[in-house]
Amino acid sequence: MNYMPGTASLIQDIDKKHLVLLRDGRTLIGFLRSIDQFANLVLHQTVERIHVGKKYGDIPRGIFVVRGENVVLLGEIDLEKESDTLLQQVSIEEILEEQRVELQAKQESEKLKVQALKERGLAVPRADTLDEY
Amino acid sequence: MQKKAACPFKRRPQWGAACLKPSSGRSSPCACAPHGRAEGVTSCACARGGACAAGPERAARSLRAGGAAAAAAAAMFRYPSLEECPLDEEEDGFQALGEEDEDIDQFNDDTFGAGAVDDDWQEAHERLAELEEKPMGSRQQAAPSSEDAELLGEPEDALAERLTRLVIESELEDPAIMRAVHTRGPGAQTMALNTSIWDGPSVLQRIRTPLLTQEMPSVSVLDYALPQRPPQAREEERDPSERALPRRSSSPIIGSPPVRAVPIGTPPKQAAMPNFNQQILCPKPVHIRATMQQRYSAPYGERMSPNQLCNVPNSSLLGHPFPTSVSPVLTHLQRAQLLGGAQAGRISPSQFARVSGLVGSPLPSVNPKLLQGRVGQMMAPTGGFRAFFGAGPAPPSQPQPPPGPVPHLQGLRPQPFRPDTTHLHPQHRRLLHQRQQQNRNQHRGLNGSVGDRGGHRGSHQEQARKDPYANLMLQREKDWVSKIQMMQLQSTDPYLDDYYYQNYFQKLEKLSAAEEDGPKKERTKLITPQVAKLEHTYKPVQFEGSLGKLTVSSVNNPRKMIDAVVTSRGEDDETKEKQVRDKRRQTLVTIEKTYSLLLDVEDYERRYLLSLEGERPALMGERKQKICNMYDNLRGKAPGQERPSDDHFMQIMCIRKGKRLVARILPFLSPEQAADVLLATARNLPFLIKKDAQDEVLPCLLRPFSHVLYHLPLGTVTSLVQQLTNLPQSAAAPATTNLHLATVLQNKFGLSLLYLVLSRGEELQSMDGGTELMQDNQWTELMLLATRELLRVPPTALPKPVPPPSNLLSLFSRYVDQQKLNLLQTKLHPDHRSRCRFCCWLLVSSSG
Repeated sequence: MNYMPGTASLIQDIDKKHLVLLRDGRTLIGFLRSIDQFANLVLHQTVERIHVGKKYGDIPRGIFVVRGENVVLLGEIDLEKESDTLLQQVSIEEILEEQRVELQAKQESEKLKVQALKERGLAVPRADTLDEY
Repeated sequence: MQKKAACPFKRRPQWGAACLKPSSGRSSPCACAPHGRAEGVTSCACARGGACAAGPERAARSLRAGGAAAAAAAAMFRYPSLEECPLDEEEDGFQALGEEDEDIDQFNDDTFGAGAVDDDWQEAHERLAELEEKPMGSRQQAAPSSEDAELLGEPEDALAERLTRLVIESELEDPAIMRAVHTRGPGAQTMALNTSIWDGPSVLQRIRTPLLTQEMPSVSVLDYALPQRPPQAREEERDPSERALPRRSSSPIIGSPPVRAVPIGTPPKQAAMPNFNQQILCPKPVHIRATMQQRYSAPYGERMSPNQLCNVPNSSLLGHPFPTSVSPVLTHLQRAQLLGGAQAGRISPSQFARVSGLVGSPLPSVNPKLLQGRVGQMMAPTGGFRAFFGAGPAPPSQPQPPPGPVPHLQGLRPQPFRPDTTHLHPQHRRLLHQRQQQNRNQHRGLNGSVGDRGGHRGSHQEQARKDPYANLMLQREKDWVSKIQMMQLQSTDPYLDDYYYQNYFQKLEKLSAAEEDGPKKERTKLITPQVAKLEHTYKPVQFEGSLGKLTVSSVNNPRKMIDAVVTSRGEDDETKEKQVRDKRRQTLVTIEKTYSLLLDVEDYERRYLLSLEGERPALMGERKQKICNMYDNLRGKAPGQERPSDDHFMQIMCIRKGKRLVARILPFLSPEQAADVLLATARNLPFLIKKDAQDEVLPCLLRPFSHVLYHLPLGTVTSLVQQLTNLPQSAAAPATTNLHLATVLQNKFGLSLLYLVLSRGEELQSMDGGTELMQDNQWTELMLLATRELLRVPPTALPKPVPPPSNLLSLFSRYVDQQKLNLLQTKLHPDHRSRCRFCCWLLVSSSG
């Protein structure tokens, strides 16, 4: 049954595999089991996928209940096309290591930037209220 | 020695007479007479509601206080809150604390100790699970829990009652304000505690009514079948003082929904069912809503909440598996209702009567065995749990005869349910039903689902079959969510609320109507029902005898938090910047106001079509008036006759939105007014071009300008050209520099405008046969000058304009010779030289 033609609704997406991007930057992949009017999601057999460069790693997480306001976007995964990806899957340890390295590099560059701004007497942009991602 | 007592009356001299000087000397948070121990004082009437823990020492001392105590107690009663009995400072602090401890102990006791009710949800849940297995045994278990519920309700009950007595105005209560009210009586009490979101306003109304003097007349099912209901309901609506609760209609949409015992996000635990036989048969465990009577007593003409919609039979929300062996009285109504559907919106009273009547229908005839121990034949969460806890698609063994819950888990429905499709386009609905029929026939073999799988792809269905966790979210729940989403789309004025959607579909329909090729594709449009706006005024609740208003502000009754007063500026030392800023702000405000007018004017066409004959002249008048206002706003309401300054207009044109505004207004203006605008623009074009450098939005004016030009007489056109080119120049200015024209020519908009104007002139020239124009030397002169200028400008400086009108060449051909014409032509069409050269040659040869 076509629920509410002309509108966007998650009802048609139930029981399908989805990729969900959260406001804190996490990427979750799971089967969408339940929704509600706030777009709170219940994800089943969820896997948190960490992407670093061309590699990615999956961490199995189980069941996720995501509060609607934290979702940036979500999309259905085409199961047939899921496997043809250019990205290379690696183990969890490896990807976590890569992530750590990347984070460190980012922090370094951020520090330099702040330093440079300070030297010029400019204000540092505060990103407190912005989303992490 | 009299210690500094915490005399609450010190601050209230008017109560000085009753000022208590307790020789107890102890400050106490509640300086009321202790209960039970002092003579002559029977009960503690302080606001703490009977839980004042007075120790024996206090009793003794208060005796000495004597009569004053009683008076004080009486006065104390007036304090609605504890906070207003101030604690004494320093010295008595510790003692006060000590006494407070006693009170706390008392409270503790009530909460956790002997007085407490053991309300362990886990146990209740276990009980529930057992219920599934042993329908018989559950009945006994349920009984004590209902007692528990009663016990729990009591201490709060007393306080609540007292509170409600204090409330002065009980009419038109704000649904957005939380109510701490419980009902009296066992039946109602369990209901109060066990209400879930599935209950419509009727339940809450019923909860309230016992407290008020006027009770709603009890309604039987048959009453609904009769059309007498509507007048009664309407009367009730008009007489709000008798109403317990305001109409539910406004609350989920406008205000916040009433607070429920179970929050609204909870999916339904149990299918909405009428009570009829359930009181006897159905057990009442604490957390499951047991019995609902008269759920359909919700008033008419309202939008139905998802809860109400659940009550409607055969709405998509209900998937009850019972065979509809209905009583003959209601069968015909049921059929009527099936097709009518339960609209998520206003339904006619007669329809509603049938609806509500119908809800009652299936169940009385239901096999009592089904109901037995069945707390909700559709026990969604437990069913869900089971599926989730790895029970797999086959539910655990259920020895019960009813096939109800079991097929429900699997998605099977013995009775095909009809989803609510009344909101859809009728053609769409037909298609849907056809499709559903097909699906049903197809899938009955596969997995028994009745179309709720959607049936997209065969492989997908297979997957769904293999997926043991599929359909954790039941059809009912999906429908419930979709109903909520639909309700959000209800509106009193779709054109106001959902303008873009409506317009988009209008455009689509127009397109498809224009195409008209064979079988029209049906564009499914979500047609939301229109509901009448219900006005409610909520007055804030007041307690009697309180010194001040209760600070309860809600969505429906917002409280003024800040007193913002606009003070006009009278300062002389305003900086220039400020002035500029203010002026700009004023311009912005003008633009906004004019925009509102514009939107209204644009809307008149639609309103005209919708209105009655008699109203139309009035509408037209209004429209004219608004157009005048718009023009005045644009040009600045100069008190003088002439509009000496373009200043106001220029200000508007400097702002991006202003330009767009002018572009949109132009079609509505009269030719003179429009010409005026054009002239003003042309006059100040260089300035505008400079200001537009960043926005680059001037070209949007081209189209409306060209439309305007089409109606202009030659005189105006001439003056336009004059303004544009700023020719003839004064003698003082050197012949080589014409900055005005240069700027105009170098700007895309300017050039295009110039071409447009010229072409219009040419049109007129060719049309009139030249008689009028020959007399008009001005035009000729201008043209000569203009062409000279054009020739002078190097071709590279000319921007690529909007394709210049075709008759320009013929225009120029009158004034220049061939070589120059070629030059001009290359300038006009920098890309299409070869092609146009040929045309040009033709032209020249023909005219020559």
